[in-house]
Amino acid sequence: MPEIVLSIRDLHKMYAGGVHAVRGVSFDVHEGESVAIIGSSGSGKSTVLRCINRLIEPTDGVIELRGEQINTPSADVNRVRSRIGMVFQSFELFAHLKVVDNVTLGLRHVRGMSKDEAEKVALEVLGRVDMLERVDAYPGNLSGGQKQRVAIARALAMMPEVILFDEPTSALDPELIGSVLQTIRGLADEGMTMVIVTHEINFARDVADRIVYLDHGQVAEEGPSSIINDPKTERLQKFLSSMHEDEVPEAIEKELVDGNTGYGYVPDGKGAGPRVR
Amino acid sequence: MRTATPGIERIFSWSSIDSKSRVVILVSLLLICTIPQSTGQETITGWGEVESWTDNDLNAAVIHGTNVWVFGDFGTVRYSEDNGATWHNHSALGNADLIAADSLDDSMAVLSADGIIHMMFGLDADWEKIDSGQSGINGIAVTGEQSVVIVGDKGAIWQYTDETWWNRTTTFNENLHDVAFNGDQDGLAVGDAGTILATNDGGATWDYRAAPDADSSIVSVSYFNPYRMFAVSDSGQILYSTSPGGFEWQLREIESMDYETTLATTLSSIEVVSSSRILFAGPDGYLGLSLDQGLNVERNILPAGVNTSFNDHAMFDYVVGIVVGDSGVILFTDRAGENEDIGFEIPDYNNFGEFVEYADDMLLAGFIATVKIVVFGILLGFTIGVILAMLKTAPTSFKNVLERYSTNQIRGLGAYCSVIGLWLLYTGVSRFPELQLEGLEYIFTPVGDPRGFAMFALGLAIVAISIQFILADKKLSGPLFKVRPLNSLATVYTDFFRNTPLIVQFMFIHFGLRLGMRIQQLMEGTFGDPGIDGIDYFFYGDRTFLSAIFTLGLNSGAYQCETIRGAISAIPSGQMEAGRSIGLTYLGTMRLVILPQAIRICIPPIGNEMVNLVLNSSLAMVIGYSELSRQGKLMIATTFQIFSAWGLVMISYFVVTWTLALILRRLEDTTRIPGLGISGGS
Repeated sequence: MPEIVLSIRDLHKMYAGGVHAVRGVSFDVHEGESVAIIGSSGSGKSTVLRCINRLIEPTDGVIELRGEQINTPSADVNRVRSRIGMVFQSFELFAHLKVVDNVTLGLRHVRGMSKDEAEKVALEVLGRVDMLERVDAYPGNLSGGQKQRVAIARALAMMPEVILFDEPTSALDPELIGSVLQTIRGLADEGMTMVIVTHEINFARDVADRIVYLDHGQVAEEGPSSIINDPKTERLQKFLSSMHEDEVPEAIEKELVDGNTGYGYVPDGKGAGPRVR
Repeated sequence: MRTATPGIERIFSWSSIDSKSRVVILVSLLLICTIPQSTGQETITGWGEVESWTDNDLNAAVIHGTNVWVFGDFGTVRYSEDNGATWHNHSALGNADLIAADSLDDSMAVLSADGIIHMMFGLDADWEKIDSGQSGINGIAVTGEQSVVIVGDKGAIWQYTDETWWNRTTTFNENLHDVAFNGDQDGLAVGDAGTILATNDGGATWDYRAAPDADSSIVSVSYFNPYRMFAVSDSGQILYSTSPGGFEWQLREIESMDYETTLATTLSSIEVVSSSRILFAGPDGYLGLSLDQGLNVERNILPAGVNTSFNDHAMFDYVVGIVVGDSGVILFTDRAGENEDIGFEIPDYNNFGEFVEYADDMLLAGFIATVKIVVFGILLGFTIGVILAMLKTAPTSFKNVLERYSTNQIRGLGAYCSVIGLWLLYTGVSRFPELQLEGLEYIFTPVGDPRGFAMFALGLAIVAISIQFILADKKLSGPLFKVRPLNSLATVYTDFFRNTPLIVQFMFIHFGLRLGMRIQQLMEGTFGDPGIDGIDYFFYGDRTFLSAIFTLGLNSGAYQCETIRGAISAIPSGQMEAGRSIGLTYLGTMRLVILPQAIRICIPPIGNEMVNLVLNSSLAMVIGYSELSRQGKLMIATTFQIFSAWGLVMISYFVVTWTLALILRRLEDTTRIPGLGISGGS
């Protein structure tokens, strides 16, 4: 069994308004493993993920990074964060910086690299996410998928021990999702340790080594990716069937992309995701 | 792709201006350059050339009664009966050059280069000829009805009296150039090697006076009265003595020449016309005038076409007289030779040109003063604004600060604070009687010591805080621990400065806190006396300047704070999360991620705030800072041109603010992030 990178024990988060979003979640992430956290909206997936790098302070519980507790007042939160990469749902690229500067910012000001060293690393990771031809563009001029790939490069450049993905594709148009998923899948194949919060059930099944299903702030089911095909608990079964209702059948999706208006929706890159009545 | 350009070029670069704008700029510059000089007060010469009816060099001029006489080469003689305006011919006195002349009372004597002296005893008398038998004589002075003193080369001094020549040559054998008497007894003779000889018995005996500069050749001397003796050397030095009898001589350190001891021109003659006015003459068309005994010497402008060597003055009083020079030049003045702009004309300020002539220096000084405080005020205000905005948005609460300490430590701190608070309460209360309040209605009466109240209030606050410390639980859940102290501090500051009038802040800070004075003293202690000019005077020579900067900066900072805070709030919180998630600190994310975006957003409102600061700077006049508005008032005090003065001041303000607005507009364009925000272009 590989070493445990991340260990979460009995995590609780009570928001100021009295909402008990996370109620005693525990799971481990091993070296080189990718864990997908799935669950319906409001089940506490994102809260768990943000507690891991302390963007949200957990109310109770223990989070350990390589055996060292990181949610104490004395832990150096900035050092902890520089060891944990994070990719956001809405990309959060630094709009005033070029693509390459977005990637080098952390290297220069956290890792203390010189501009040249940092740019060398940045070009290398931008190559890995296939963004080399847009290094001098500003984020405002990139498509959603390109933005998310730059965001992944930004996290990768810091050489993190684990990367957290917070719904990396849910703000993207369907035709842009593919490239991002491809990039993440590539990282998984390279053996990067990852925690992915996602709605893409198929993607979770393909990429994740393990699935954690959260329901109402608790781990309702946990197991290898095969549990998606063969759910043990009733709650997961229900969740999966509701997800399948939402999924666009392959044939219809093709027509949507081709611009058949008979379905009342044309993916023009601006609206919400496709829904079929 | 825009390439990054450094510094000022981001705001202004010639190459980025389109051709139409370039034409406009060039035409404007051309128009400014070709505006003709105002003719309200031009400087014209105080001398006028008059016809002398000769081309011979004129060497000497002398007043005799109501007439003035000039003498020149080849025995040339001319005289004028109307103060020198028109001239009459006179038969030549011999063939030799006439080189010097003098008069006393009704006697006049002219020295001829061959040693013959022509004398006229009495007005309109006939010329008499006296042969001295000497050669190499340079100077002559009349000392009485029938007596003269002549001086010459190798120290020669001869006295003619009682129809006899006496040799008074002394042991000092330098060449003597000039001799001058005050009355008939006291005289001075001057010559090479700084020689100054003095007599007090009509020229019979001569004493040596120590020379201030033994290398100068003194060419002319004037004995105005026993307390005013002046001489000039050919190297442009002015020597003076104010001790009776001319015992001590000094070189004048000439203020108008940066306290050098020479006028940097060759001089040939000096004429003292009043106790403070001196006229100078020299070769190469030099005429000078000093109104203060040689401290300041102004070069006189000459009439057109005159550029000759001048040899001698003859002045009836300090207003009317002549000066003679080579090639038969006689210049006449009836205004003391002064350049005409020196105070003889009352300016008519209704004439806009003359008003501008007077006001432009004051306006420029005010303009510079305003720009000075505005520039520093903007820098200070913006810095304070950014700091305050960051304090206001800082999430640090007491809980964040204290949670790393154990509950017992916090309780201990509370106990310690409560002791201090109780002591302050006790001291404050015990001082209440000193206030001598006889009832609530006297509460604003400033008697006694108001510090009692201050201590009472502070004590109350500290006790209230320390009670919460003492009652702290492990989770630090008390209401105090949710308080964000930095935010509170900034809120108090901004509320205070935004809710009091700026004019009162000016007066409180300058006269109440005396901030300018304190800073000035601090700087003096560190960097030494500011003096009257230079970089140190610029920064801390004027205490109203310091107070004005700080008042404007502190006030503007309070307003800018809210603007910048708004811009920071407009940045999505995800940007902060993203910055923190790659390991940047809170301040690092602020500096590198949030502020660069926030400042871009708030350039338009901040520009508004800065324009306001420029306009508010006019209130600095209440503390006596000489910025534009105050200069406007001063201009009106002298000229009474209310419309023009305030008009010019207003235009000046517009120039400052409009320039600022243009810079900010340009800054906004150059810093715009591609693909972000609705900008209506670019």
